[in-house]
Amino acid sequence: MNNLYDILEICLKEIENGADVDTVLFRYPELAEELRPILETSMQAKMLAAADPSPDVVRRSRANVMQQAARMREEQLWPSRRLWSVPLRRAVVSLAVIGALFMTSTGLVQAASTTLPGDNLYPVKRTWEDVRVLFTFNYQAREALEVAHENERLDELNDLFTEGRSAKVDFAGTVMSQDGDLWQVSKIPVLISAGTDLGTQSVKIGDAVRVRGVTQSGGTVMAEQLDFLPAGIALPDIEDDHSPAAGQEKPEDKQQQQNSGEDGSGEESGGGAPRQEATKSPQLESKIHEFSRDGVVDSFSGNTLVVNGQSMNISSAEIKGTPKIGASAKVEGYFNADGLFVVTKIEFQSSGSDGGGSVNEDGNKNNDSNDGDSNNSGSDDGGGNDGGGDNSGSGGGGGDD
Amino acid sequence: MNMNTLGLACTGSLQMAGFNLLDVILYVKETETNTIPSSRGAVFIMTDFNEQIALEDLRKLDSQSVGTVYDRYFPEVYRYVRYRVGDENIADDIASDVFVRLLEACRKKQGPQSNLRGWLIATASNAVNDHHRRNYRRPMDALSETMPDTSPSIHSEVDSREKQRLVQGALAQLTPEQQHVLALRFGQGYSLEETAAFLNKNINAVKALQFRALASLQRQIGEVNYE
Repeated sequence: MNNLYDILEICLKEIENGADVDTVLFRYPELAEELRPILETSMQAKMLAAADPSPDVVRRSRANVMQQAARMREEQLWPSRRLWSVPLRRAVVSLAVIGALFMTSTGLVQAASTTLPGDNLYPVKRTWEDVRVLFTFNYQAREALEVAHENERLDELNDLFTEGRSAKVDFAGTVMSQDGDLWQVSKIPVLISAGTDLGTQSVKIGDAVRVRGVTQSGGTVMAEQLDFLPAGIALPDIEDDHSPAAGQEKPEDKQQQQNSGEDGSGEESGGGAPRQEATKSPQLESKIHEFSRDGVVDSFSGNTLVVNGQSMNISSAEIKGTPKIGASAKVEGYFNADGLFVVTKIEFQSSGSDGGGSVNEDGNKNNDSNDGDSNNSGSDDGGGNDGGGDNSGSGGGGGDD
Repeated sequence: MNMNTLGLACTGSLQMAGFNLLDVILYVKETETNTIPSSRGAVFIMTDFNEQIALEDLRKLDSQSVGTVYDRYFPEVYRYVRYRVGDENIADDIASDVFVRLLEACRKKQGPQSNLRGWLIATASNAVNDHHRRNYRRPMDALSETMPDTSPSIHSEVDSREKQRLVQGALAQLTPEQQHVLALRFGQGYSLEETAAFLNKNINAVKALQFRALASLQRQIGEVNYE
């Protein structure tokens, strides 16, 4: 077969040089029959050979190719600019922002550290606190930090009270007392209104709650929402020295302590007080709003008076009128750090029913209805007063006995 | 000295100088037809167009280099494509596309490292194959069947064109490789050696391929005539 292919090639070359098929095949009679159609086909195949393109075709096509080349050149330039410029620009901007933040963050956080709720930079302070907590991985350190932050909330509240500012606040604490609409949450007076969202559970004393509300100029927080806090949540340390001027005692408290020491019937105000009194401060109590309320005297004993079921200390109260059980009383006072209502001024108004006794200025009870003999009553009271030398009246002699 | 002998003798040094064998062979043929004295040798004339430099410039999409390469190779590519597709407009489009593909490849640093002519013809072959595949999926009506020209004065030309159309149709039925070898041999007029260089085959293989291609084309023409 190689011979056939070679002969075909020879024939093709001869034809190309001008020979005709018959002449070419004359030299290869044994292959003529086989080669003839092939050679004729080759001539037909050659018939398809195209001429060079017309100048118009060349010009048009050339313009197209050159245009494409120009476009690619342009694309080659621009992508490289984009490749370098866009990421570079982003990197530079990012670095600039990071640098600016780094440079200003210290000052910003410093400036924000003294802000109070409602200040422009206060969110910075809270955010920075959150960041610190987030990046504190030691459990104990984190817990201490959270407690410190909660203490800071209380300090902020006290500052707001001092400045008489109204601002939205939220803080966590333990419900220490519930006197009608006025509760004490971690020593902060919280007013509960009809609009306060208390949730579904009833709040009891000792519950940990988070209070959201608005500070009032009177030194209270008007609660908008109270949420129960789960066990183990960080709460402010009310015995911590976060309270301003901790350790300082209010003059009234000193007097109260003295009275409790002198008055054997004053356990309620004096018995459990000394430990708590240590954290009390005149500054703090001066911030606390004084309340005025009317009520009926339920009972009284020593320095403790019960009006409308609310125990209150009257040891430092300015007393007007004669205290009697069932008498109407107009009371002004404040809640101390222990949640005890300390009466600063009380005015008794006589009522028709005089079933109760009267209270002298020392708070000693004279039960006239039970004992018409003032001497006896004096001796009784004197015996209970462990030598209260201030007793006046006829009972004084008994006391001396 | 015979030019073919000169070409073979200089192959090693030419390749080292950045020229490929195919260019040398084709150039020798050009110089022979252009009656340039053989004593001047291929290398002397080829300094007018250094393929390596042209390829380097093409990678930069240098407009002058693009123009030079286009002017040098477009007619050849066009003829090859026209031979295989038969239609002037389609051949123009495909030939232009071959050069755009060259530019794209050069831009992506994937273009030919040498043998630019071989790369262009091979790309043209692929482009034509793509065209045939597309046409196979969307066959178009032949112009002659829808608009027959029966003018007596141009009967002979019509007959000639009809014959060309038949051969073209038969050619399209061959395998791409068979079409390729016929296009190189009878469309481009390349020698057996040149065709072997293009196909990257030895000469005997090209001879056999050529024989089978012609035999197949003859059968296809016979079948078309029969139909």
